[in-house]
Amino acid sequence: MEGLMAFWAETGVANFSGGQLLMMAVGCLLLFLAIAKGFEPLLLLPIGFGAILANIPNAGFTDEGGLLYFAYHVGIETGVFPLLIFMGVGALTDFGALIANPKTLLLGAAAQFGIFATLLGAIALNAVPGFSFTMQDAAAIAIIGGADGPTAIFLASKLAPELLGAIAVAAYSYMALVPLIQPPIMRLLTTKAERAIKMEQLREVSKKEKIIFPLMVLGMTILFLPAATPLVGMFCLGNLMRESGVVDRLSKTAQNELINIVTIFLGLAVGSKLSADQFLRIETLGILILGAVAFSIGTATGVLMAKLMCKLSGGKVNPLIGAAGVSAVPMAARVVNKVGLESNDQNFLLMHAMGPNVAGVLGSAVAAGVLLAVLG
Amino acid sequence: MTSISEQLSDALGIMIMGMGLVFIFLSILIVGIGIVAKLFPAPVVTPIPVPIAPSASAQVTLDPKLVSAITSAIHQYRAK
Repeated sequence: MEGLMAFWAETGVANFSGGQLLMMAVGCLLLFLAIAKGFEPLLLLPIGFGAILANIPNAGFTDEGGLLYFAYHVGIETGVFPLLIFMGVGALTDFGALIANPKTLLLGAAAQFGIFATLLGAIALNAVPGFSFTMQDAAAIAIIGGADGPTAIFLASKLAPELLGAIAVAAYSYMALVPLIQPPIMRLLTTKAERAIKMEQLREVSKKEKIIFPLMVLGMTILFLPAATPLVGMFCLGNLMRESGVVDRLSKTAQNELINIVTIFLGLAVGSKLSADQFLRIETLGILILGAVAFSIGTATGVLMAKLMCKLSGGKVNPLIGAAGVSAVPMAARVVNKVGLESNDQNFLLMHAMGPNVAGVLGSAVAAGVLLAVLG
Repeated sequence: MTSISEQLSDALGIMIMGMGLVFIFLSILIVGIGIVAKLFPAPVVTPIPVPIAPSASAQVTLDPKLVSAITSAIHQYRAK
């Protein structure tokens, strides 16, 4: 009988707390979104499962010595996982469209306004009782507006590790929601005639330009923004492996096997931060709201900047492509293409939107570097 | 504990400086891309010019619409 009592005391049923059950439900919701709705399944599935694992009573996954503890400790606390992902993203990115039309870098820059406006918003939220974000917290939340998962995780792990779970979940859920959040803003800020503007065919880009580009970006980061070199450096390494054409094996590994392995552990480790005591707080609600605001402002400023470029260029730029300035590669570019096709079914904006799209990745890495340099 | 208005003005400062830096950084990059493009122009050997004439001989002349359709299809496929 005593043995049975001891066994009962160790079961999940006897040890559950309400918070843990709620967080398991959150984990199940993430799994549902990933499996049934197809929202960023590559990340939401491991994150959701990680959330369930992290909230099992007496399992000790997240205690010192547990699997999730080590995954977090080794990969995220050190910033290694997001950087490895960034290398893979670099190897997956073709800068051809950007090099052919470099002015789209300005769109990628304008869309970063969402980040800095949210910084202000997060601090302003301190006026509401219950919130007390430090400047570091605010910066980590604001970077959600960059719509770049690895960058958000990297910055959060450096500036506000205790908010990491909520920030990562917000960042990835909004990236998955790009097709829902962006189109209304894009339609609101543009006229039908503007949306129908056709853009010129992009010029050919030589291989040398593509090889020099990552080196040039790295050189500039070294000179002006060393704080961003972890992110930009790994990104450029991946891109150089791709464009140089001499290390196809490494490039393929970075694009496929490595990024996949890291994604599994990154997702699990982020999920492990979704424990009841860290997630079920009023701050989480604030982060989710601020993230959506950041994202919307970024989309809006991108479109407005593109409108300005449209006016200045005499109607050669379709303002829709500005919305792709919030990274979220390649989802944002696809959304631009789709909205463009609604106004003119012969107008394929995808390649034109890839320019600002990859510019957004650089822009948010630079913005993250600025925030790290000032607040880190 | 600093007051909220003080924090807000700090955040405003970071916002202005941050946006400024992002724009300056990417603007310099635009200039850099321009210079590199001048130094290493794309090889003109490819027989793509002849854009005005529609594909009369049905050979190498590619309809730009077709090209953009194909590139978008390739992109969508790769992005899967």
